[in-house]
Formats: sequence, C-alpha cells, structure tokens
Amino acid sequence: MVAMMLNLLSRGAEAEIYLLDFFGFKAVAKKRISKKYRNPDFDQLFIRNRTKIEGKVLSELYMAGLRVPRAYLVDEEYGVIIMEYIEGDRLSNIINSLEEERVFAIAREIGRFAAHMHSLKIYHGDYTLANILINGENIVVIDFGLSGFSDDIEEYAIDLHLIVRSVNATIPHIADEFVNQMLHEYKLHFKGNSEDVIRRMMEIRVRGRYIDRELRKTIMREKYVA
Amino acid sequence: MSIFEKTYELKLKTPYQEKVVRVLGIESTSHTFGAGIVELRDNKVYFLANASSQYKPARGGIHPRESFTHHVNNAPKIISKALRDSGLEIKDIDVIAVAVGPGLGPCLRVGASVARFLASYYGKPVAPVNHAVAHVEIGKLVSGLQDPVIIYVSGGNTMILVQKNNRYRVMGETLDIPLGNLLDTFAREIGIAPPYVVDGNHAVDVCAEWSNEFISLPYTIKGCDLSFSGLLTAALKTAKEHLHDKKHIGRVCRSLREVAFNMLIEVAERTLMLTDKNSILLVGGVAANKVLREKMETVAKQYGVEYYGTPPEVAGDNGLMIAYTGLLHYLFGKITKPDSVLVRQRYRLDEENYPWLP
Repeated sequence: MVAMMLNLLSRGAEAEIYLLDFFGFKAVAKKRISKKYRNPDFDQLFIRNRTKIEGKVLSELYMAGLRVPRAYLVDEEYGVIIMEYIEGDRLSNIINSLEEERVFAIAREIGRFAAHMHSLKIYHGDYTLANILINGENIVVIDFGLSGFSDDIEEYAIDLHLIVRSVNATIPHIADEFVNQMLHEYKLHFKGNSEDVIRRMMEIRVRGRYIDRELRKTIMREKYVA
Repeated sequence: MSIFEKTYELKLKTPYQEKVVRVLGIESTSHTFGAGIVELRDNKVYFLANASSQYKPARGGIHPRESFTHHVNNAPKIISKALRDSGLEIKDIDVIAVAVGPGLGPCLRVGASVARFLASYYGKPVAPVNHAVAHVEIGKLVSGLQDPVIIYVSGGNTMILVQKNNRYRVMGETLDIPLGNLLDTFAREIGIAPPYVVDGNHAVDVCAEWSNEFISLPYTIKGCDLSFSGLLTAALKTAKEHLHDKKHIGRVCRSLREVAFNMLIEVAERTLMLTDKNSILLVGGVAANKVLREKMETVAKQYGVEYYGTPPEVAGDNGLMIAYTGLLHYLFGKITKPDSVLVRQRYRLDEENYPWLP
C-alpha cells in the first residue's frame, strides 16, 4: 500500500492509524496488523472479517444519519479502511473538565446514539467514553473494530454495560445521574423492548465469577423461578 | 537452577521488626492439598518446602466430595512431609496461612479446619489468604516484576489484572467458564481425558499435534471481557461429527486452542495499550502450557516489554504461594485469631485492599 508515505498517528493493540490526504479529504487509514502469534490461516480470516464488518457498520450508520466517520475505502485483502478524519477530543480525557449540565446533555446524546444504533440491529462492542469524540457541539462515535450485526439483545446490553462501567470509573461522583439520563433517552428512542435490554444489562453485571449468590438471585429471580 | 535454590529479595517497605519469620501455608481449594513453608530472613525470602498431593478422578471431572475425602486422608501426611523437608518443627512456625477461598466448599473446609486446629493448639496467628491473590503474589516474587499486566489463567479463573491504589483491578475476565475449564471439559466430553495432563502436556495439546489444519470457530470478546461457552459448544458439536477420525479431532483441538488463546491475548494486548505498563506476567495453572507461553513471548517481543511465565512448580495450585502470601499478610498486620477463620467460596480478589500493593 501507500503506507510508506503516511504519517503514523497512533498505534493501537489491533491496528495502526495513519493520517493522509484522500483526494483532498483529510482522512485516516486504519490498518489492521498481522500478528505473529496467530496461526496464519486464522490471522488472515480474522483480519478480513473484522475489516469487512467494520466497513459495513460504518456505512450503514452513516447512511442512517448517525455521526460516525465516513468510510471512503474498505480493502479486506490488506485489512485497510480509509475513513474521514474527525477533529476532537476523546470524551474520557475531557469529561472531568466539562460543566455538569453539558455532561448530562452528552449523556442523553450517548443514550440516543445507542438507541438508534441498536434499532438498526448494530452493536458497537467497545462502547466506552474513550471511543466517543467531542466535535464542537456533537458527539462522534469511533472505533467500530469490535462491532457487528445482531438482533440478540445480549449484544445491546453489553454496549450499555460497557458505557456504564466506563462512566463509573471516570466520573464516579455523578455516575448515577449520568446513567439515569442516558437510559431515559435510550428508552425513548429504542425501537425494541428497552426494558428487556436494561434488565439484561443488570444481569451481565452480576455474571462475573464469584459474585455474591444472594445478589445474583435478586437480579436474576425470574430465571430461577422459570 | 530450580526455584528452590534461589533466594528472593523482598522489595517492599514493611513495618515488621523481627529478623526471621516462618510461615506454613495450607492450600485445599480444589483438587490439590498442598503445604508449603517459606522463611523470611534479613529481608530475603527462602522456599523451604512445597509438599502436595493431587486428587485425580478416575473418570469425569472433580467431584467435590471425593476431593474432600482425598484431602482429609492426605492432610496429616502432607503437612508432616513439608515440616520434615524443611527441617523444622511446628513450634518453629510463626504463622499459619490458609487459602479461605475462592474454591469448592467441602475442600476449603478441610484446609480451614486443619489451620484452625494447628493455630489454636499451638497458639499461632492465622493469615486468611485469597487463593487468587496468592497465585499472583508468587508470580510477582519469582519474576521480580513490580507492576506488570497480570494474566491469571487457571481451571477456575481467567482474568486480566493490574494493580492500582492498593487493590487488584480486573480489566477483563471471563463471563462464563474459565480457560482451564474450557480445555478440560472439551477433552473430557470427547473422551481424550482424564488424565488431563500427562508429563506437563494437556490432552488438547497432545491431540492438536495430529493435524495442521485450522477451522473457523466462534471468537467472542465483549469489551475487555471474554466468553468461552459458545466456543466450547461449537467445538464439541464439530468434534462429535466424526468422533473416531483422528485427523478431524486433531483439527478441532488445534483450532479450539488457537481461538481460545488468541482471545485471551487480544484482551491482554488491549490492556497493555490502555494502561501503558512495561511488563507481562503469566500466572495460574494454565501458565504451564507451552503453547500459551510461546505466544505470550511473541507478544511481549512485538511490544518490546518484559515477559515472565511462572514456572510449572509454582504455577499450579500449591502451598508455597499460600505461605508466601501469608507472610505478606503477617508483615502488614492482616492476621486474625483461629476462631474467625471462615471459608468464602466466592471470595473475589478485587473486593479488598492489600496494603503491600502499589
């Protein structure tokens, strides 16, 4: 590829991000890295699948009018996606310096985004504050590397679970209010049964190993009775 | 050089006064009854003894009652052996450490009862140790790493950990079955185990040598958490299509191992990037697996970080790690009277502060 001429912007666990000019558009190239510890067959299959799905998800969401980077070019063979460059800060880095009112407005937007995304039967897979950019007034959700298509509410609940966990870790003092506002907005906009998704989210929280049995029973009571 | 010939510098600032502290550690959380003895002398840790006996089911998995019976029958023998190996008598021991959880209830109660008896009869304090914390602490001691990304994989746990504010923080863990359990259950269901491990090789590793091919199996990562149960079901379903075809079983074993390990490594890599640590430490029973160790080494090389895999002698369940963690408990005053030592089957390692952590 043209990777030689590009500026390396950042290197993640899974991919390298390069900055480039794509026919006059400021763009980034996300190149998935081949891993030596993987079986070569697995490696190829893995990179191809993840790239394909990420490209598909990005374009579906963009077409539906949600704020995500536009995908300009998807090359499964090389594991490369060229997409729009988004100016902005990661929410996780700046959330502590924002005013409370603004934070709750963002919370509602995060809930709305999730609801619309899930209504399209798409899940993000890594929906955390670090993957949300603040671009002026708006939020832009990035890194769909673990995303996919599914109508299983489990996947939607995982998204909510991840964002809640990330909120609890970053802004513990106002986390409860944040989550309330976010979920309220989610319920308003999700086109399926949002109560089911939220209940499943609570279940996921107590699913880890060696959780107190009584707490688990309280939350998962219906399953025990049935 | 064996780990018993080495001495380990205790790189901690401790409030203790004594020159010499000796701890007897008792492990009985699952299939192993173990007794280990460590000595602290001039801020150096010496491993004096590590005796153990393992319950090996003739067929099926661990039956808690059978394992309990095994522990009851072997406890006196193993503890005497540890004392004999170390050349000490029970009166030379300063603290009795015991693993109080997490684990199987009946098995845990054997260790706790023995510890309560020894402590009250001989008038010693007890250090109630978390089994998972012990796995990590012994790894940190032997490797000399202070603040690594910790990958803890065993038959009962699969976790990615870091230390922060005197506590272990779980960055990612399994949402259903642990990695060791996945391999064991698969091996048992298709009839290639027990015995699960022969000469340090797991049954799945042995069968994986029968083929070079790779087939696609479900790969499930949820954020930083893992899920292995879907992988197990899919692998079993595929394997049972041609149960007597050696090539086919080999192919499934190889692919199962490949997918499971890669899932674990992907989460570890992400934690490494997220937390910016400069070392990786592999601990727990599955840390003895050669293929996993090789993969981890490759990852560490790629990121230019230090890597250490806990040696098999102290990677699996053993009394020595309980003794060493008991020593830390003692040095930082986390000890108790015999009558308040109660077992906790669901004792998580992230629910409590440990004053010796960074």
